[in-house]
Amino acid sequence: MSTQRTPKSDKELWQSLALGQEAAPAAISDNAFAAWLEGRLPEAEAARVEAAVTRDAALRTAAIELADILGKPLPPPPARMAARAQALVGGGAAGRSGAPRGSWWPTSLLSGLLPSFDSGFALQRGVMAGVAVIVAAVGFTMGGGLGKSFVERRYASAEPSALSRSISDTSQQLNDLFADSI
Amino acid sequence: MTDLNQIDLRSLAAGHKRTWDAFVLAASPLINAVARRALSTHRLSEDDVMDAAQDVFVRLCANDFRLLKTYDPARAGLSTWLAVVARSAAVDFVRRRRQATAPIDEVPETALAVEDRHVEKLRIPDGLLTERQALILKFLYDEERDVSEIAQMLKIDAQTVRSTHHKALIRLREHFREESS
Repeated sequence: MSTQRTPKSDKELWQSLALGQEAAPAAISDNAFAAWLEGRLPEAEAARVEAAVTRDAALRTAAIELADILGKPLPPPPARMAARAQALVGGGAAGRSGAPRGSWWPTSLLSGLLPSFDSGFALQRGVMAGVAVIVAAVGFTMGGGLGKSFVERRYASAEPSALSRSISDTSQQLNDLFADSI
Repeated sequence: MTDLNQIDLRSLAAGHKRTWDAFVLAASPLINAVARRALSTHRLSEDDVMDAAQDVFVRLCANDFRLLKTYDPARAGLSTWLAVVARSAAVDFVRRRRQATAPIDEVPETALAVEDRHVEKLRIPDGLLTERQALILKFLYDEERDVSEIAQMLKIDAQTVRSTHHKALIRLREHFREESS
């Protein structure tokens, strides 16, 4: 019987081994990882990134997926994806998303109050404001304007005295009636 | 459509609407592809892909474009950097979504199983393999990737991957042969 060990396959050999430095790998910045994916890092820094990628399965998966995506023509995205993302900046959304305003205070104050004129949103706001002014003006004119409402107000204020006059006339007639019968 | 490389980054980081709109149009195909790929193994819906992509754009413009301002054009192309950022955001999206929606009963037992096996591995001494050699062995044997995939990712030719693999194995075999004899 042979006592010689069966040689391990390359994969078995590798799987029976553990890499040193089991501590958590150093954090890799997005810029460093991107530069490594493009093969633009100097040797020392590339080795640091490769050490991190070797020890982190998530980074390895990311590297493979991203290299694959970046090396292929991309399919067109759904149209509403861009529309939703574009709405994040500009108009009211600018404030919410933290988009910058003017550099000195009157500009920054006004930019908060006024629409941004480089967007369709500003045009929409302007049209809505114009329509509101026209509706108000037409309503005011149809109602007769200030003159008619003033006259109506005068009549309204005159009505209580007419009422009291008619009450006093009625009581005078009753008095006369009782006086005649007596 | 504007190419990503033609985007005026200063104007973009200053929050100009026109530049942002052009950037969104140029970046959407890439962000869509990255989000779709990151979500592909998690059986999430088309709406989830849209939300994950929107998350990427929100991250880019949030807090006065803070993330976008960290991009360094001297180090990497905008597409590559954007792909890295988009993938990271999409993975976070999946993590949040799974935490929020996956009841334990619906998670397959295989996913929850803990392997009852502890194998003491021989430790490779520091410096025996270069980082690149270790990385290539990881990709070949742990990830079971093709030589061509590894070559594409590392921007080297397939023959270089093979020779690096070969040299790494020679070093390992020599080291452990010496140790066992």
